[in-house]
Amino acid sequence: MSIALATAPAATGGPVKPKRERTFTHTDGRPDYIKIGLWASLMITGLLWAVPFYIMFVTSLKSQADIANTLAWELPTQWMWSNYAEAIDTGNLLTTGSNSLIVSLIKVPLGLLLAAAAAFAIARIKFRGSRIALAVIAVGSMVPIQIGLGPLFTTMLSLDLLDSRWGLLLPYLAFGIPYQVFVLYGFMRAIPDEIEESARVDGASTLRIFFRLILPLAKPALAALFILDFVATWNEYAIATTLLQSQSNWTVPLAVQSFSTQFATDYGPLNAFVFMSAVPVLIVYLLFQRYFVSGALAGAVKG
Amino acid sequence: MTVTTPSRGKSAADGRSRPPRRHHPFLRALPYLVPAFALYGYFLVYPMLDAIRISFFKWSGFRTEEPVFVGFDNYTRMFTEDPVFWRSFTNSVLWVVLSLLLPMMIALLLALGLNRKMIGRNLLRSVFYLPAVFASITVAAMWRWLYNPTLGLFNQVLEAVGLESWAQTWLGDPKFAFYSVFVASVWQAVGFSMVLLLAGLQNVPQELVEAARIDGASAWQVFRNVTIPALRPTFIVVVILTMINSLKVFDLIVGMTGGGPAQSTQVLALWSYTQSFTNHSFGQGGAVATVLLIVSLVLVIPYMAWTMKGEEK
Repeated sequence: MSIALATAPAATGGPVKPKRERTFTHTDGRPDYIKIGLWASLMITGLLWAVPFYIMFVTSLKSQADIANTLAWELPTQWMWSNYAEAIDTGNLLTTGSNSLIVSLIKVPLGLLLAAAAAFAIARIKFRGSRIALAVIAVGSMVPIQIGLGPLFTTMLSLDLLDSRWGLLLPYLAFGIPYQVFVLYGFMRAIPDEIEESARVDGASTLRIFFRLILPLAKPALAALFILDFVATWNEYAIATTLLQSQSNWTVPLAVQSFSTQFATDYGPLNAFVFMSAVPVLIVYLLFQRYFVSGALAGAVKG
Repeated sequence: MTVTTPSRGKSAADGRSRPPRRHHPFLRALPYLVPAFALYGYFLVYPMLDAIRISFFKWSGFRTEEPVFVGFDNYTRMFTEDPVFWRSFTNSVLWVVLSLLLPMMIALLLALGLNRKMIGRNLLRSVFYLPAVFASITVAAMWRWLYNPTLGLFNQVLEAVGLESWAQTWLGDPKFAFYSVFVASVWQAVGFSMVLLLAGLQNVPQELVEAARIDGASAWQVFRNVTIPALRPTFIVVVILTMINSLKVFDLIVGMTGGGPAQSTQVLALWSYTQSFTNHSFGQGGAVATVLLIVSLVLVIPYMAWTMKGEEK
């Protein structure tokens, strides 16, 4: 049905110019005030959204005296780049950062692989009870993890895995799995049967079909989940604060509390720390960004 | 979410004949299922079920002490003698309702606006999404600074425009603390919903939009009759995620108010944690967690039934 529309009236007369995108004008060149108004209101909202980042940035460069004596939005009188060094020191960023990095870099790829395997089994191997398996997974992706924090603490205690980075990996793997299986299931389900059948006819084993056929086809979904899971893992606080005690095992989010004593908060270095703590997440986001919007929801495979 | 697979002509007849099954399908599926389900079962499902079990016991959480079975005592105490529980219950419900109204509407408007071609579109998308990649606990720290009574942005702006009388101790006043924390969560949460809705808008069939335009439909008619129906599945996903994330709110409150002042920002997830770990009553904590579980399931099961029904087709 789209064929007729694809050849819709082409511009008649005159040399064919490359079609310019009309942003603020009507077809005939009159300014389109509705579009301009829309654009302006989006821009103003965008500016409002950026304000906290601006304040964070200028505060991160202010001395104690500047914080007390300048207005919140004023530039610092003296640019205190040393706040960043102090933040690395107070937040113990070398230790907490590498703890977070180790946990995230193991957990995210491994968790995705396990989730993909389970999703593959549920979506592509037609075994009895696959719908029950899916339901069990779906429920888990929707209830808050905080429900189980108390018993999780007891479980980890009895396994002697409390206050350990390696111990932290296990519940971390667990909390990502349900949502990922759920999303990957939808994605793998949409892969046409003929593709798999022709591979089977060629004698491919189930393992081969998983690694060589289904996983590569699921790449857009995996990339989107990689971002989401990396962000979630890097930023995870509730489980970490329950299970980790000694500062040498802390992950980055736990280190935020190092900047406040009972009486005061060191806002300059704190804001510097907040800014730095997001850098790895921003890098991952930028690297995988092009997959993100399309892969986050799309369950479609082009034939 | 709609899948369009152009049906190509079935190539050969032999595509129909299956090779003989070597194993029972379930046995074939098992090795793929076991690792994920073992981790999920032991470190996620089991603790949650155990929270229900422990809610019938009196236990401090210390290993040296044995849990004592007390039946429904924890629940009776929670419902009748624990005003903080009711406070956190209503706060959690209020948070869900407010989140469905405010940030979701903002996200929808932003997605519709940013779905058009315009100058600075990608920059704007990034600005709205950026807060979502920051850890909630760091967002809490940022906003505590913005709300600082004397040096923070909000009160200084009010002072600069001559509205000193409006200045508040935003996080220190039980009347304002809850909404102050909520505003920070709106700032953080809008971007994610917006991205999902933007992705959903890609599923709006452009042929239909153009066909409708050619037939003389107004922008509003196109929106009502083409955009909205195509966006519906995405919208349901966003509603569900918004509800779940509202019930999960924890880091932001811990970081901004710790549940105070006077428990005015207490929510179920945090109160369960506080009862277990701060007040050393795992039984009470389990009872609160059980209520949270029931609330979550009540909100989520209709959606699940809907998805599962879709699977049958």
